[in-house]
Amino acid sequence: MDISFILVNAVVVACIYGLVAVAISITWSSLGLINLGYGFVFSFAGFGAYLFDRMVSDSPILVASAGILTGAVGGLIICLLVFIPLHDKPNFTTRGMIATLAISLIGSQALLMHFGPRPKNLPELFGYWQVKLGDVVVTSDKIGVVVCSIVMLAVVVFWMRGSRRGLEIRAMMMNPHAASIVGIGVRSTGFYVMAMTGAMAGLAAVLLSQTYYIGPFSGITPLIKGVSIALLGGLGSVQGAVIAAVILGFTEALTSRFLGGQYVLMTQFLLIITILIIRPRGISGLLDKAREQ
Amino acid sequence: MSEDERKSDYTWRNPLAAWDAKGGNHEAPSIRVPDPRSIWDENQAYKVPLYKVGRLKHFHIWSAHGDRPWNRMRWWPTRRYPLHIKGLYNRKTLKAEKKILDRRPIYWAICLIFLAIAPLFFPDSMRNTLLTAGATFGIFAAINVCWTLILGTASIFSLASYAVVGSAAFITSYLSINYGLPWFYLPGIGLALGFIMGGVIAAPALRLDGFYYALLTLGLNELCRVFFTTSKAFGSASGGLYGGSTYISDSWSPEVQSLAAYYGPYLLLLASLLLFRFIAGKRLGRILRMAPEKREAFAEACGVDYKRARVTIFLVSSGALGFIGGFYAAHYSGVGFSIFTFDTVLLGLAMLAIGGIGRAEGAVLGTLVVVALDQVLIEWGPIRHFMIGAIMLFAVLFLNQGFFGIKKQFNAWRDKKRGEWRSSRSEKGGEALPEEATEIEDKDAIYHRRFDKMQRDYLKRLVCPEVIEEHRRKPLGQHSEALERLLLYFRRAPMDDKYALHRAGPDGPYKIIAFAGARGVAPRVVEDREYETVEEAYHGVFMRRVHDLLES
Repeated sequence: MDISFILVNAVVVACIYGLVAVAISITWSSLGLINLGYGFVFSFAGFGAYLFDRMVSDSPILVASAGILTGAVGGLIICLLVFIPLHDKPNFTTRGMIATLAISLIGSQALLMHFGPRPKNLPELFGYWQVKLGDVVVTSDKIGVVVCSIVMLAVVVFWMRGSRRGLEIRAMMMNPHAASIVGIGVRSTGFYVMAMTGAMAGLAAVLLSQTYYIGPFSGITPLIKGVSIALLGGLGSVQGAVIAAVILGFTEALTSRFLGGQYVLMTQFLLIITILIIRPRGISGLLDKAREQ
Repeated sequence: MSEDERKSDYTWRNPLAAWDAKGGNHEAPSIRVPDPRSIWDENQAYKVPLYKVGRLKHFHIWSAHGDRPWNRMRWWPTRRYPLHIKGLYNRKTLKAEKKILDRRPIYWAICLIFLAIAPLFFPDSMRNTLLTAGATFGIFAAINVCWTLILGTASIFSLASYAVVGSAAFITSYLSINYGLPWFYLPGIGLALGFIMGGVIAAPALRLDGFYYALLTLGLNELCRVFFTTSKAFGSASGGLYGGSTYISDSWSPEVQSLAAYYGPYLLLLASLLLFRFIAGKRLGRILRMAPEKREAFAEACGVDYKRARVTIFLVSSGALGFIGGFYAAHYSGVGFSIFTFDTVLLGLAMLAIGGIGRAEGAVLGTLVVVALDQVLIEWGPIRHFMIGAIMLFAVLFLNQGFFGIKKQFNAWRDKKRGEWRSSRSEKGGEALPEEATEIEDKDAIYHRRFDKMQRDYLKRLVCPEVIEEHRRKPLGQHSEALERLLLYFRRAPMDDKYALHRAGPDGPYKIIAFAGARGVAPRVVEDREYETVEEAYHGVFMRRVHDLLES
């Protein structure tokens, strides 16, 4: 296989998983919730886009927005069912994590009961064209995926930097207790964060459906990849997640080029474990300023 | 007393005035004293809701042999008792009695004996389903008991337990199929594999924080799944490895085979419970109870090497998980890929979360619930997993420590509510509350407080400008009934904090002081104000006492 082809694939996949990773990272650092329900949000958003495509319209922008919106709704469901009732209870972190896993179990089963196990696919959102970069041919869906995820990430980062809500979220990241003292509502911030991160997972679902299919359990792999990237980058750090996504993407590309496809996860995890043993809070996670909860 | 009555122009005349008594007013405007019985009647009147008072009797008290109340059974040859029994004497009858403080061993014995004889009661129509489900229950309960050792006792949040079991099962199946190893080697080899895997997985646990580690182990589980499902040697084409050696011989009748398949995992469960008992209930467990999460630094300062204890438990449990993996391979004569799926980890976590993480009984009960839903009610279809998820969500949202934490959580909630009710009903200086009363040993004190409260309520009604004016005019001598009642009460006050006068010179000035109530402790000065004459000072003390009475 051609190395440049693999590299392009790695970048594309890293972009999608990076979105999920940034979502996990932001949720953890601002709400203190390890949300393992993104697998469900992912499938939920995929099915939302699929239903929109079947029932309403197949305009690419509308389908993608439907996916993003259902993702946000999925995030809000998790917020309502897990974050709101649990955030002030003892043992919140463990119980929150288990509760999101329960949501993931319930949600996947509900999707399985309603849509059946057969995978569904979305229309090609980015058309059929290709670009030659030197001697590499890049197809439209790959360019579309990369551009879309970078745009989404940029929008999120600018929103977090420039808006009042973003300021609230960043305050929660720095010190949730102090933030609540100065009048930042923990619950309302929870709604913004979960809707925003859900929307990111929704976009990731729509983008991944350009390459793979939508199924009730298709969210598990992106979730685990996202978790690994978020871990490696340092929970709570957007830059870290981006760097980690690139590193893991390249590891994947190089491993499948030189060792073979089945060793990809092994090299990735060896890399993650090595980096985590050296820096226990990930690449750009701060050692002493981790969220204590 | 109404305002009209209070303002009535009642004039008290000193009965001693006829004899020209010294001291005291001859006559003074005062008030009519209300009947002291009225306050008693008011207090006795039924006007508040009645509350149930006292403590529930939680323990059955057994009668003991009077001659040898301290004689107990012991596990031979140790000095340990099978049951934690406390001998005591009945306070009323003075008979020797005994109280079983920890009844869990009895419940465990009942449940385990029930599981052992359960196949006798299985209905014929469901016999095979129930025997198969019982086998699954035994294996998964054993896995969860070991897992709960890692999660609860060692507080290492590892989600890779099923990866250890699965890897051991796959490797031992591979050895059994390709090299013809007989079944009785498989658990032993699994044990060694579990130790090795445990060692590899434990390395990051020392450096990483709890949740980083949890996410990492989730990834490790996925790694094992992908490795084994894509590897041709481990049966990627056939969905698993089957056809290895098993302890269930083909030469037995089907009935005996299914019974053997039921009792094998049952023995495995017993072994894992024994392991739990010997780790969590002994030295290692005690060390780690001393070092719960976030208090490690304190434990370390006390000389507890908690890291070593955690890693030891992790290694031993991983070894046990490997052993279970080997047993799994020997039980099913192979293993499928389903052991690695995310759903298996989820169901396992559901089992622990339902019963309560960190308790053997929680792990076993959770497994029972989930396996019953998953395998016995199979005709319900996909709604089963939906229900498991719903139960798990319910347990996590509403129960702090799973099913077996309900009692503790309920008691805490009840105490909180009790405190709220108590504070809503308590008055400053009021009588003893019913709940409090059960905890006061000297019942006379309760009656005294109650009577005192009534008396103060009554006396408060006597304080009025006329009475104060009467006292100001003549602090000493005969007084009207109202003032006399007040003064009698004030004189009877206990010595601690009782007011007194301090004379600075031979003719004053006077200052108000209060006794400390303890021998050798100087009285304290109550206020800086100085009174020129002793009468003024008496009145000052009276006013302070009236003030204290009205405040109480």
